[in-house]
Amino acid sequence: MFTNLRSQGLRLPAIAVATTADCPVVLTDEAAITAARNEELRVDMLVGEDALVAQGQPLLRLRSDPRIALVAPMAGRVARIELAPGRRLGQVVLFREGDDRHVHSAGPQDEAGLRALLQGSGLWQSLRRRPFGRMPGGDEAAATIFVMACDTRPGAPDPRLALRGQEDEFAAGLAALQRLTKGPVWLCEAGAGDLPAPTGVRRVGCGPLHPQGLPGMQIHRLHPARTDAPVWDIHAEDVADFGALIATGLLAQTRAVSVTGAALREPRRLRCQQGADLRGLGHGYLRPGPHRMLSGSALDGHQAQWLAPRDRQATFLPGTSTPAHRHWFAAALRRAARPMPIIPTAALEQALGGDIPAHALIRALASGDSEAAARLGALSLLEEDLALADYVTGAEPRISAQLRVLLDAIAIEEDAA
Amino acid sequence: MTRGLWDREMVALVLLAAVMPMALAWLWYGGSAAFGRLILTLFLSGFWHLVFMLARAQPPSFAGALTALAVAMLAPADLSLFQLVLGISFGVVMAELVMGGWGRNVLHPATVTLAFLGFGFPAAAWPDLPLPLAWAAIPAALIGMVAGVMPVRIVLVAALVGAAAVWAGLPVGPVLPAAGIVLVLLVGDPVASASTRLGGWLSGLLYGGLMILFALQWQQAAPLQMAVSAALLVSLAAPLLDEIAISAWLAGRKRRHG
Repeated sequence: MFTNLRSQGLRLPAIAVATTADCPVVLTDEAAITAARNEELRVDMLVGEDALVAQGQPLLRLRSDPRIALVAPMAGRVARIELAPGRRLGQVVLFREGDDRHVHSAGPQDEAGLRALLQGSGLWQSLRRRPFGRMPGGDEAAATIFVMACDTRPGAPDPRLALRGQEDEFAAGLAALQRLTKGPVWLCEAGAGDLPAPTGVRRVGCGPLHPQGLPGMQIHRLHPARTDAPVWDIHAEDVADFGALIATGLLAQTRAVSVTGAALREPRRLRCQQGADLRGLGHGYLRPGPHRMLSGSALDGHQAQWLAPRDRQATFLPGTSTPAHRHWFAAALRRAARPMPIIPTAALEQALGGDIPAHALIRALASGDSEAAARLGALSLLEEDLALADYVTGAEPRISAQLRVLLDAIAIEEDAA
Repeated sequence: MTRGLWDREMVALVLLAAVMPMALAWLWYGGSAAFGRLILTLFLSGFWHLVFMLARAQPPSFAGALTALAVAMLAPADLSLFQLVLGISFGVVMAELVMGGWGRNVLHPATVTLAFLGFGFPAAAWPDLPLPLAWAAIPAALIGMVAGVMPVRIVLVAALVGAAAVWAGLPVGPVLPAAGIVLVLLVGDPVASASTRLGGWLSGLLYGGLMILFALQWQQAAPLQMAVSAALLVSLAAPLLDEIAISAWLAGRKRRHG
């Protein structure tokens, strides 16, 4: 109770989560390789349509850095390759077939060898750099790495449950991560803090209230990202996969995913492949009627057909996305007043974790003042960190969208410099 | 993808609900005269919101009712209709609507109206508010703070400063009821007050300090006049206090993270 009092955040309306202990493996019949949201990947295909591929086999390489590959999430046949102009990755759809697994040869255990292994096996995509929230460049040096073994998003799967039975691989993965950065590796965990970790890893407890379990809040508090000192974050389960990859050369086939939402008859917890087909995850569990499929939580998710690369949640909401009909006069008034003013309330302050001067940051975002926003810590934050403030204030346009615009502008300036 | 409730109008409605104990107590003791005055201020405030909606496409806000209520309660008693209309129009238009409506204003429109009326027509006497109104300010502040729409730090620190002054034996007794009412109605407005943490503490200190100073040094002023003046000064200082708070926060982060 007292930890709740100290934790800065909001108690959200409870949503149903799966309570059963079992976690069945559900491999959907289709899966796709996609780019993360807001990420633009120019790629070279390594296989053609109709090719039979093994799980973990590299299917495409980035044109900007051919060492970085994206791999097949399951054994199957390449059904469809959709590239946008400029060879930008749209989606590569696979049909499940066979059960071959590609073996990655682990090189020397030094930094270069580990980097090559991560990049060649597709696990590089599970790293995310701040500022800007994209996959790090192949030679980029991280100032520090945050490993997230907690997740406070509503309905998120508990990383500690996902790690059960993989403690040794997790510790090995952490030790390997330590070799990737000159700075410290932070392990953010909820509760008792009993995960195995090699010496040198700094443990941080995160509070039980959202948004304390988001990497953005911890990075903002402990080690703010700068354009010249990027900070990486990675989910604890991916670290365990990294450890297993070093030991066996095999890429993990599944990840723990929770499927929640009011459009489901009952919530589920399951293990499925990366890029799984959301229709397959909800199949047989949906209530009748129209619904929306989100990859991600109800707060920060986006409508999608495939589970996005770093997401571990699928949400099914009832209803359609077309907004309720408004009288033309009310709609015109609302449009004229955009961006709607945000009133500084206690809820807004808590929605940003309590430490950040919330109203000042939101004002900087709304006015497009990138210098002030960066000074207040916007470089450590991503859309998901402001999703709760969006939820609380009903802001229009969304605060997280304003942050993305600003981050993109800063990124363009940095590239030009 | 799901949306919450706390948009601007919801905050305004909750604030209105919070000040209901005060409004009811005031109407109970003021009778039909108070009621007529409230209708007039509501009508004027609504009229200007309507004008700005039609002319500038600014959505009207329930915060206009808050302004109307505060003005009706606190404005000098024996003003002519013309003076009252002039004062409310000045406050609502110049302090709120030309800035873009509630949420974008710097000063509370009611504070500006009251300062305009008080200093523009000094012959009009400030009203004597019934003591139960001050007691009703306590549940109003509690509702506002629990709902999170009133700045907790300002109200708490100002109350603490008042308590400390009483404890120290300063002759602040006569101004306390007016100070409390104005604290809830004008200083506790979330938009016109400091939004940062340290800024909130400092605002509360400033309001309490100003009230003590006025009570000790400002001869021949009505308690309500002192409180409205202090509210105006605190409101004017809020951006500065916020800036101080943000600078202190940035300095602390620079020391910690380099």
